[in-house]
Amino acid sequence: MPEASTAYGDKFIDYYSAGRQPHPGVWSPRDIQNYCESYIPERKYVTSVNTENSEVYTRGWPDKKDPFTQADLLDSEEDRIQQLIQIQQLIYQIKTSPIILYRERIANRLVTLFNDAKEEDFANLGIVVGSLRNFHNFFQLHTDLKCATISLTPDNNIYASWRVDQKKVFSVLFLPNGDTRFVIFKPNDLHPERQIRISGTTTTDMLKAEVAPHGVWDWISE
Amino acid sequence: MKGDTIPDQHHVARLCDNKHIDGGFIQATAFMLRSGEESLSVNWLEFLNCSCRESEIDELRNTYSRKLKLGAKAKIAVLTVGEVREKVLTESPDRRNLKALHDPQYGTVNDPSHSGIYNLKHDDELIAELILETVQETYPTRK
Repeated sequence: MPEASTAYGDKFIDYYSAGRQPHPGVWSPRDIQNYCESYIPERKYVTSVNTENSEVYTRGWPDKKDPFTQADLLDSEEDRIQQLIQIQQLIYQIKTSPIILYRERIANRLVTLFNDAKEEDFANLGIVVGSLRNFHNFFQLHTDLKCATISLTPDNNIYASWRVDQKKVFSVLFLPNGDTRFVIFKPNDLHPERQIRISGTTTTDMLKAEVAPHGVWDWISE
Repeated sequence: MKGDTIPDQHHVARLCDNKHIDGGFIQATAFMLRSGEESLSVNWLEFLNCSCRESEIDELRNTYSRKLKLGAKAKIAVLTVGEVREKVLTESPDRRNLKALHDPQYGTVNDPSHSGIYNLKHDDELIAELILETVQETYPTRK
């Protein structure tokens, strides 16, 4: 089970026990590499015999005797580790990017969300790596963005919202395939008591062009 | 009884986990469906038959703590069924008619007030934002 965690961007994400973590307070690609190399998943395959003379798997793969299935499990474990490393690298890239405004705050928030999602379900990867990559690309493309509120959907994709004056909302769901789904709520200039509501889907690189005509960039950028 | 429609003037509570809270505020993601979910899980407060809102929330805290691992920042959002339905019906592009139905759960942990908001889809970010605007009260999940 994961240890209790402090969610700061300069701390390593809790996933395995503290003993497997790199130096606390440092979070660099080298640490990530060391962390990866130090991680040896439980693959001991110890059998014993119980009183009914049937095999008992005391460690490792429970009830799986088909070697192909075991290989699949090995592959999926490697995939998990690779995805975790990618998540950590992407957050590190955000944290250290000189061009992203509020990089520290965004990275800290992502680490918090990662740990929150792991706390909710230890078996999942915390944040969907494709969604995080998409989010990272968006912030690399647009370096003038105000700080957004960031949350995770139930499926652990990233959802960012900018709210202004209670009446203007721009929210973006970053999908793993490079698409975004967006929502805009804004006042109707001719009928101030009414609200205009727009939603759509586009690729991340087209999002600004798609929503800028609605005035969104004026209130989400500095 | 399972399948009963929750009256419009009644209230439901939605558990909003840590990952749906930023800066202490509930986000629209709290009202989105997980893949494979048919309805948004809520609890029918009047069904609990408590004397006041605080007792209803206490009752839910007990149920949630037995069913789930609650995050430290998790919150309970209270919504009026009729307001949610009216807001979504009048302001969603497809005039979505949501339904709030009783869906009690019995098992290891009984959750007799469990209910669902039906007719949501998995790409309903706009509707999730509308539901967020109808949140009336919020309570911490831990006293």
